[in-house]
Amino acid sequence: MTHWLIAPIILPALLAPFIVLAARYHITIQRAFSLAGVVAQVVIAAALAWNVSDGSVLLYQLGDWAAPFGIVLVGDQLSTLMVLLTSVLSLFVLLYAIGSGCDNMGKHFHPLFQFQLMGILGAFLTGDLFNLFVFFEVLLIASYGMMIHSGGNARLQAGVQYVLFNLIGSTLFLFALGAIYAEAGTLNMADLAQRVTLIGPEETVGIRIAAVLLLLVFAIKAAVVPLHFWLPSSYAEAPGPVAALFAIMTKIGAYAIIRVYTMVFPPDLEVTAGLHGQWLLPAALVSLAIGMVGVLAARRLDRLITYSVIGSMGMVMVSIALFTPEGVAAALYYIIHSTLAAALLFLIVDMVRNARGSVELTEQPAMAGTALVSGMFFVGAIAMAGLPPLSGFLGKLLVLDAGFDTDQVAWIWATVLISSLISILGFARAGSIVFWKAHSIEPPEVAPEHAPPGVLSAVAAGGLVTLLIAHTVFAGQVHGYTTRMAATLFAPDAYIATVIGTPGKLSTPKEEEEK
Amino acid sequence: MELLVAAVIGAMTAGGIYLLLRLRTFPVILGISLLTYAVNVFLFTSGRLTVGAPPVLRDTLEVYADPLPQALVLTAIVISFGMTAVVVMIALGAFLGSDDDHIDDDPHEHDSHPVEEQP
Amino acid sequence: MSLFIIVALPFLGALLPGLMYTAGRAACAGVTFTVTLAAFLGLLTNLPAVLAGDVLMARVDWMPELGLNLTLMLDGLGFFFALLILGIGLLIIAYARNYLSRDDHMGEFFTYLLLFQGAMVGIVLSDNILLLLVFWELTSLSSFLLIGFWKHLPEGRQGARMALTVTGMGGLAMIGGMLILGQIAGSYDLSVILQNRELIQESPLYLPALILILLGCFTKSAQFPFHFWLPHAMAAPTPVSAYLHSATMVKAGIFLMARMWPVLSGTPEWFAIVTTAGLVTMVLAAVIALFKHDLKALLAFSTVSHLGLITMLLGTGTPFGAMAAMFHILNHATFKAALFMSAGIIDHEAHTRDIRRLGGLRTLMPITFIIATLASLSMAGIPFLNGFLSKEMMLEEATHTTLFGMPMLVPILATVGSLFSAAYCFRLIGHTFLGPVRDDYPATPHDPPAGLWLPPALLMIPVVVIGVAPFVAEPFVKLVTASVLGNAGEVPTAYFKIWHGLVPALFMSIIAGVGGLLLLGAFKPLLKVWETTPRPEAKVIFEALIDAVASAARWAILGLHNGAFTRYAVIGVATIVVAGGYAWSTGTVAPPTRELQAVGPVHIGGGLMLMAAVAGLVLLHRNRLLSLVLIGIVGLMVSIGFVLLSAPDLAMTQFTVEVVTIILLLLALNFLPKRTPVESTVLRRIRDGGVAVAGGLAAFVMAYHYMLRDAVSAPISEFHLANSYKGGGGTNVVNVILVDFRGFDTYGEIIVLGIAALLIYALTETLLSGPVRARLLNRKLDQARAGDVHPMMMVVLTRVLLPVVLLVGFYIFLRGHNEPGGGFISGLVVSIGVVMQYMASGFAWTSARLRYPYHGVIGAGVLIAGFTGIGSWFVSKPFLTSDFTYVRIPPFNEFELATAALFDLGVFLAVVGAVMLSLESFSRLARRAHVDDSEHPMDIDPSREAQTEGAA
Repeated sequence: MTHWLIAPIILPALLAPFIVLAARYHITIQRAFSLAGVVAQVVIAAALAWNVSDGSVLLYQLGDWAAPFGIVLVGDQLSTLMVLLTSVLSLFVLLYAIGSGCDNMGKHFHPLFQFQLMGILGAFLTGDLFNLFVFFEVLLIASYGMMIHSGGNARLQAGVQYVLFNLIGSTLFLFALGAIYAEAGTLNMADLAQRVTLIGPEETVGIRIAAVLLLLVFAIKAAVVPLHFWLPSSYAEAPGPVAALFAIMTKIGAYAIIRVYTMVFPPDLEVTAGLHGQWLLPAALVSLAIGMVGVLAARRLDRLITYSVIGSMGMVMVSIALFTPEGVAAALYYIIHSTLAAALLFLIVDMVRNARGSVELTEQPAMAGTALVSGMFFVGAIAMAGLPPLSGFLGKLLVLDAGFDTDQVAWIWATVLISSLISILGFARAGSIVFWKAHSIEPPEVAPEHAPPGVLSAVAAGGLVTLLIAHTVFAGQVHGYTTRMAATLFAPDAYIATVIGTPGKLSTPKEEEEK
Repeated sequence: MELLVAAVIGAMTAGGIYLLLRLRTFPVILGISLLTYAVNVFLFTSGRLTVGAPPVLRDTLEVYADPLPQALVLTAIVISFGMTAVVVMIALGAFLGSDDDHIDDDPHEHDSHPVEEQP
Repeated sequence: MSLFIIVALPFLGALLPGLMYTAGRAACAGVTFTVTLAAFLGLLTNLPAVLAGDVLMARVDWMPELGLNLTLMLDGLGFFFALLILGIGLLIIAYARNYLSRDDHMGEFFTYLLLFQGAMVGIVLSDNILLLLVFWELTSLSSFLLIGFWKHLPEGRQGARMALTVTGMGGLAMIGGMLILGQIAGSYDLSVILQNRELIQESPLYLPALILILLGCFTKSAQFPFHFWLPHAMAAPTPVSAYLHSATMVKAGIFLMARMWPVLSGTPEWFAIVTTAGLVTMVLAAVIALFKHDLKALLAFSTVSHLGLITMLLGTGTPFGAMAAMFHILNHATFKAALFMSAGIIDHEAHTRDIRRLGGLRTLMPITFIIATLASLSMAGIPFLNGFLSKEMMLEEATHTTLFGMPMLVPILATVGSLFSAAYCFRLIGHTFLGPVRDDYPATPHDPPAGLWLPPALLMIPVVVIGVAPFVAEPFVKLVTASVLGNAGEVPTAYFKIWHGLVPALFMSIIAGVGGLLLLGAFKPLLKVWETTPRPEAKVIFEALIDAVASAARWAILGLHNGAFTRYAVIGVATIVVAGGYAWSTGTVAPPTRELQAVGPVHIGGGLMLMAAVAGLVLLHRNRLLSLVLIGIVGLMVSIGFVLLSAPDLAMTQFTVEVVTIILLLLALNFLPKRTPVESTVLRRIRDGGVAVAGGLAAFVMAYHYMLRDAVSAPISEFHLANSYKGGGGTNVVNVILVDFRGFDTYGEIIVLGIAALLIYALTETLLSGPVRARLLNRKLDQARAGDVHPMMMVVLTRVLLPVVLLVGFYIFLRGHNEPGGGFISGLVVSIGVVMQYMASGFAWTSARLRYPYHGVIGAGVLIAGFTGIGSWFVSKPFLTSDFTYVRIPPFNEFELATAALFDLGVFLAVVGAVMLSLESFSRLARRAHVDDSEHPMDIDPSREAQTEGAA
């Protein structure tokens, strides 16, 4: 009996209280433990991903209770991929946080960081909807803590809105869960997938409402217009590294939609026909448009990036909303890209803020370390705007290609292409104001005390750049993997069989037949 | 009974939403907690209603109330307590910082971002 | 040399100058030159094969599923362009080394230049059109960097952005076009696509594809109406203008049209669009060029005009036109690059490019004069120079071209175009070099060092040689034409020669030449006319357009996201309700399967009271204290309801949580305003009311619907009921679910509590270390204080009660597994007990008597719970696997020991710690605000006597 599958959750869950208990007053020790923990995470995640890369499914029955009666963790290609992505991202974010000293500007950064990881990874690994809710709450409350880390009025103001909007989301989630349990009498996703097939056409409202409410919950997470309003302020006001870590949070919504609406409510399911497929695509297109137009509209660099995040989530959702294997494969490729690119850009914004004193898009004297920062910004902008040669362009091609055979091809192509032109405009404008115009301005006599990015920070950002490049060079392999993954997602028999078929404590053969 | 409970849920939801849409943090927080009550009761009813048959095993009893929703609601209650505490604290912090408990804020008012200086 | 290496060399080499720039300018230029030379020679090694007419291929898979692969192809056309790019590249590098000043960061410059060079070579060699797109956009990016190289110049920045916008737009359009093309042909490989002429031209998607691709070509090659970006790109350093904007980048669009010739050309659509665009561009740009005073601007528009000429030739769709186009590309590249470099030399030496301030340079800079004159005359189409030959061919082709059914249209326009072209060439020579020597040059001009004049001079060799002996170029041009047409059979047999006899083209040339001289003669009056005639300024229009878009975007986006949470919430809730309603309305409903249950008067009374409380809350919420009382009532009624509906655990939890929450809110209210003012308009409140009612209705319908129907199959809780005792060792199923069946949920939940406490603590710390602290310190209490802070009775009572409370808590904890109760509830009960001490005896008194820091308690709780879970690993069971046994220690009865109880202990500790830490943090704020409690006489504080004695 191996316990590797639960390790990504337990490790931070034990590390965090330990840091609180033992190292509350020693930032160095905190950093050491936190970093060690994250490195271990990366290793474990890589091992897990490698284990399931052949399509096998790992199952972990908590309390030794068989699904659906107990809670199970399920590691398939999708969940392990997301776990790996999260761990790698968190490593660089943590490096940057330490390098920029951001973790030492308020109390309990590292415990909150670990708890945040625990929540995210748990959300990816769990096979039980209510448990997913619990992990959503864990990652949310940790994110509240991270977001208001080191205070500041603007930050707290934004924090209040962030928390309240997410509380609406949590409430909605509970409504959805209630509906699902009332309708199907189960909470386990695999079991639910089997039970919805038993629902006859004579009464479909119950399951339809449940499906829609759940979709809305995940749409809030994924910041799909018009449920995206929580994002701009909170991401813009959050400390740079925290915002960078948040780059993965919107992807959780996308992950959940992929998981639930390929396995539980697949597009070919009659009782929920014409629900998500129909409404998600327009909403996603609008998100894409609003996000990229926001890039042009923004008056501050941090806001600009937050809008680009909304836009790239729109792109992901467009691809998902096709609900075809090609679409999901493209979406998964794009999710990796957009996570890395967004994180990189948020780190760069933080560098600019520290080196320039402000992120206003106004002429200001040249800042410390322009060459490095501007170079990285150029790379990040290219990636985010979807220009060649980086993965953003390849992802865009994939999405366009996946959208070709649909009826809405004209809409999809027009929106994708025009919005990316607008985002190019926005990024070019911002870059030339922040990095080029500075050269035409006389530096003031008394140069303000602003630090160029430290070595560790630069290394962290550089690491993300490297990952982006790797994601481009090995695009073929990655996309091949996501393509195979998408195929299994639309044929989840292996997943369901593993989850439901594996016996646990006191489960007799008879019960298995029933399920 | 079902009708009554459903009505109660509806009333609490409506009240909660209305307060949620107020302009100051305090009523909004009250609205959220009202919504929490509503959703807890709703989640509880997903096990259907049973009178006088608590899910505590007795040799005499044959039928029990559905224990699972109760467990879920218990979890939900405690979690929402934590959330309420947090949001109250953050709202308080925001108020103490700005002497203003309006919930709306214009992101372009405080345009210049606070620069954290190294400790 | 392998094609991959040829393409890769510039990219890899691009790293070197950046690294070498510390080694000095010479090193930078040297390494760049070497890299380019290597690529150039590598290309030449393939010359024999190309001359033999075979096509070299190289392939490596990149994204096979998508069809985007690294496939390269070298044929005559590709070779021709690669030769231009690398050959002229070499001259430009040598030129730039001497041109750039000491302040310019040469490493940066050459890095960008090599990036651009690599991208260009990539375009002309790629066989995969998606790969071609990659390189295509790369040229836009690198040219963006090159044009904006002088970052301090606003023109540079604007020009760069304009170029990026226009070419970027074209690039995006082309993505669409290429994808369509590939979808039609079933492959993205040119070698496949070019074989499918019929398939593509018959497809209904041919026209959209054609238009999208042409958009890309026209923007890149500055064809009307996208021509305006090129002149503004002249803000770039002259080497860039000479390289990108004469020889290479602007030819990319033309290259692509030539590349796609076999499948796209020959249709009426192609003919109409391409020829027209080319013709208009040619004439228009030529006219504008004549009146430009900035040498580079003049050259820029002349370039646009000549690009138009080439485009027009391609548009005709005849083999002869294609051949003429290829020939002119070659000639134009030579004389135009030379002219740009000469302009750069003049700028460099005379410190101005304004023709009006020049003149008479003939004697001052003879070498430059010779070069520029030769090049200009060639451009003007004077015999014995290469420009003449291709222009003759163009005019020849024009005479055979009928556009819109008007046979004379094309010839006339062509003549006009070349007439103006001749005119500005003569003006270039006349007004710059001829005329009297002036004494008001910004700097006294003289011929530059060889490093600057040698590169253009070398370009004069082909200009003259081809001009005198056309046949030397003939085989090569025909080879290129063959690979454009796709088969050697169609290549026209016409010989390249200077004298074709008295053909119409000759007369047109003469008209052009003579007319050009006449125009120049009448330049001054013409200029007046020109300056008085109003004409649209492309830049102004463009900027206006962009600004309009930007401000529209700002209005829309910033208006939408105005930070108004209330609006966000309304939109959110409305969306949810509408979506739910849609799902409901599109579904089917069957009759209920369950009976309504009887309802007694007590229930009704309770329900009504609850609703009344809610209504009161909504109506009276402005009085915050009152609203707290009301919400307390709501909570109380809910917990009573749980009792009635046989959920004792819930009732207890709800009740205790209620108490703690109210205390918490009271502590917060201590700081907040006590009333909520009226701010929202009646209309708003009606809107909110509407949304609220809709939401409430939805919730009601849902709840009612589900309650009257059974689940689709037996709920999983039956298993829990059946196995709670057997497998969990407890008779209170709810508790067993919490600590055993779904213990993992509980684990996550106590972590949530713990985080909440940490967060609150951290925030308090931040607040107290920030400006807020000062605020708190000099904060006025907005309410009268009670007479005695710590009433004697209360103090005594609470202290007597404490042991009892602890006992009760302990009892509730123990029975939890079998009777209602458990870790949460007892935790909450105990914390209430402690909170009572705080309230009664004051903060200082209580915290002085606390032995364990709450941080520790929380941490311990979470860790205990965690390690209980891990414990089961040692019996090789999954996390949180429970086990239990029954022991009997006389005189007690047999009782149960369950690992679950240990887990529950963790829960208990976490709850206590979390609740206490949060409340403590709140009251720490209160203490900062001078709510000072330890000095009060009624406070039973032994330490107080000690202090007073010490004082006495």
